[in-house]
Amino acid sequence: MKIRIVPPEPEIEYSEDYYEWMARAMGEEKAAWARLPREEREKELTWYHENFNTPDDLAVWPPELDGGKYNP
Amino acid sequence: MSTPLEFLKIFAGQLQQAEIPFAITSGMACVHYGLQQITKDSDWIIPAEDLGRLRELFTRLEGDLPPWRISYRQICGAPLEAEFMAHGWTSHLSVWDSAGSVEHKVDIFSKPPRVRSEELQMDAEGWASRHIVAQMKRTDRDKDWPIVHGLGQQLSEHQRPEGLLHLAELNALLAAWKAATQQEREQMTARRPLLRMLADRSEIDPLYFERRILLERLIWERVNEQRHTRYTRPWRRFYRSWRQELDWEWPSSEAFTAQHQRLLGAARGYGLPPDPLADTPKEALVETAVAAVCQVAAAAKQEVAEVLPPVYELLP
Repeated sequence: MKIRIVPPEPEIEYSEDYYEWMARAMGEEKAAWARLPREEREKELTWYHENFNTPDDLAVWPPELDGGKYNP
Repeated sequence: MSTPLEFLKIFAGQLQQAEIPFAITSGMACVHYGLQQITKDSDWIIPAEDLGRLRELFTRLEGDLPPWRISYRQICGAPLEAEFMAHGWTSHLSVWDSAGSVEHKVDIFSKPPRVRSEELQMDAEGWASRHIVAQMKRTDRDKDWPIVHGLGQQLSEHQRPEGLLHLAELNALLAAWKAATQQEREQMTARRPLLRMLADRSEIDPLYFERRILLERLIWERVNEQRHTRYTRPWRRFYRSWRQELDWEWPSSEAFTAQHQRLLGAARGYGLPPDPLADTPKEALVETAVAAVCQVAAAAKQEVAEVLPPVYELLP
């Protein structure tokens, strides 16, 4: 298996439709966060990491392997 | 002490230096793409043929000053060995990159679920492509499906035809369909039969469409369930047998190489199957999943067949 390296997608401004969908599907707060530049988003995540110590996920197995819902 | 994001960069740098190919996927990739606000763990795709060099890197890092500590986690998955990892197992590690470091949970995939190997792409920083992340997010967790759609939206806004594979809302799909070339439409419809609705009908009943989307999602979920139980069941059997050993302790406080040899010996000795899907035709798994979908959704087999992705999409 080979992992192909491709040029990064250019940073683009997503449409208002995209952010409206996000507010509907994930909440206003997340949509507002998503509008921030990447560095700002990462800064916020770092703040969470420094101030909270919560489990990443309550499932023992990673969701990509087991779906996380039915497995303890 | 490194934060999870700093660790991500540090570990990626170590892999790059050792010329070990990798792609960062799942939660951290979703943070990168602005679709998930919080995560701590990291998931890495590393080809099975490079796992030997990854283990060598771990040995070197454990001898560095300051030394790293690398350990399997209690629920460790399979040994970090090509004979298992090439067949869809995952390996679950904890990494401390200094004495005062917090525990960084690192999950390794060599054959990520639902990902066709020829599509495996990352950018120069190591981020798995949106399409790969979207494929991996087709789990049976409700919270993952908006992310699949969101990645589809982003792909479409980047004018990538793969957006058509992931969008789940009618208006967004119609817009992406309109923007695609005839060739792209044909290619994507072969992979996602639900798209035929966009070509065949001038007016689409939104409720009819919504039902098809739900059926399609149920198919992905049930196929995933069929697949993952073939990993988790034998793993639990293996683990239950292994822990009967006298003075069994796991994870041990040994160096990673010793831990690895111990786990590998146990996996071989207690019959953890390297390829849990080897004896089951993929078609049979899909057929079982479809039967479940028909029952759960009170749907006719024909109705499900209309949106059933090809087997090579569901279980590449």
